Amino acid sequence: MSDEKRRELEARLRVVADRYGDRLTPEELEEVRKALEANLDAANALRSIRLGNWDEPFSVFKPVRRRRV
Amino acid sequence: MRSDPLFMPVRELSKHIKSGRISPVELTELYLRRLEKIGPSYNSVVTVTRRRALRQARRAEKEMEAGNYRGLLHGIPYGVKDLIATKGIPTSWGAAPFKDQVFDYDAAVVKKLDQAGAILCAKLAMIELAGGMGYRQPFASFTGPPRNPWNPDTWTGGSSSGSGAAVVAGLVPFAIGSETWGSILSPSNNCGVAGLRPTYGRVSRHGAMALCWTLDKLGPLCQTADDCGLVLETISGPDPDDPTTTDETWTYKPRSTKKRYKVGVLKGVADDAQDEVRRNFEEALKVVRRFASVEEFELPDLPYEAITRTILNAEAASAFDEFVEAGLSHKLIAPEDHWGPYARTALLATDYLRAMRLRGRMAKAVAEAMEPYDAVAAPTAKKAATPIDQEFRKVAPGATRDVMGAVGNGCGLPSIGVPDGFTQADLPTGIQFMGHPYDENTIINIARAYQGLTDWHRRHPPIPEPKKG
Repeated sequence: MSDEKRRELEARLRVVADRYGDRLTPEELEEVRKALEANLDAANALRSIRLGNWDEPFSVFKPVRRRRV
Repeated sequence: MRSDPLFMPVRELSKHIKSGRISPVELTELYLRRLEKIGPSYNSVVTVTRRRALRQARRAEKEMEAGNYRGLLHGIPYGVKDLIATKGIPTSWGAAPFKDQVFDYDAAVVKKLDQAGAILCAKLAMIELAGGMGYRQPFASFTGPPRNPWNPDTWTGGSSSGSGAAVVAGLVPFAIGSETWGSILSPSNNCGVAGLRPTYGRVSRHGAMALCWTLDKLGPLCQTADDCGLVLETISGPDPDDPTTTDETWTYKPRSTKKRYKVGVLKGVADDAQDEVRRNFEEALKVVRRFASVEEFELPDLPYEAITRTILNAEAASAFDEFVEAGLSHKLIAPEDHWGPYARTALLATDYLRAMRLRGRMAKAVAEAMEPYDAVAAPTAKKAATPIDQEFRKVAPGATRDVMGAVGNGCGLPSIGVPDGFTQADLPTGIQFMGHPYDENTIINIARAYQGLTDWHRRHPPIPEPKKG
């Protein structure tokens, strides 16, 4: 694991531990670490693709029209 | 093979009902009895809706006696996955913390089936919260591990577990399931029934539990591909209560005008499948070649699974935010569902948005690659049913990649799975045909053509007859 990935992984784990550490056992926290690493691997795969400024999220937001009276 | 009317396809059953040879009330009683007596052996039923079913059956019978025949689903019993709201009847989402949850309205699909005269007989078992907390094993359901009627020591697949089991065991003629990623096709494969994942937006999800707003779909599991078309026609269509539904209505056209289809096979798609799954798929392709040309193709290199997985994780984290914040995940059955949701709380918004941006690129790339073909064929799943007491990813661990699932669900593409053979252990395997968005007719007709040349769908597991009384 690269130093950069390790730092990001530890940072994310701290976020989870700070928010929910009181309800997770050490074994569960270790499982969370593994899941965080898998999420990070996925994120890094996504970050490896170059996107242009114009590449919009593929979801369409439709403002709600005023109801006709 | 059996010629039991219980295993008749809906199309055939409806002929008998329309002609008066089968009474909707008697048929409903028969299925209710099976649901009550046989259903528990497979942990496939949460609630039998006896009172509502008999009320609907009597109404259907009276209407038909008066000459008011509503259509092919009139008088046909069915079940729904227990994440679909039904007025006054518990809707558990398969999870202990919600086992007493009751809604005061029917989901859109239930309303549509009600209008068609179909008879709701059961709320069917499912993996807790549709597997959204990251389950790894079959027992992740508060109603017990969903057992496969082909061999109760194996799993039905999930998360629409009871929907698959109930159809193949002849507990209902058809069932409604849901898929975010694999939840219709997996039980279709493991139970050996036809399962149709419609195009995203084809069927209203109003009243269904949300796991991932931009991936969730509802669809039918039936004895045959043809039945899937009949049911989809009834449950599809625009719904102002679900803004993702398409404006167009969909009509099932079981007669194709096409003389010969063109089917693509993703290069290497079955390479990491179990040997028997791969062999059955190769044999199935020989049958497909009798009515279609088959050729290999490749997809451009994109992180398909990472895109769809990141979207699922981020949206599921938000959909169950209150549930997780309240610490309720520890009340779920599977230990991995206790801690599973916490890692997702540390996903970055920029990673989710990047996945949504890449989704557009993925959808265009896949549309272009699939353009020459009417459908893409692949094994429905890479494994047959796994042992009921084992983590399913640990069985044949090499067969866990799922590019077809990532692409199909991430791009909102329809796919239909039908049985294509059996393993040495008498467990079904399946072939899926994935199509272009909004073109369910083509994949259903391809699956029908395949089923017209095979008899895998006419085989039924050995189910003990329920005792009377």
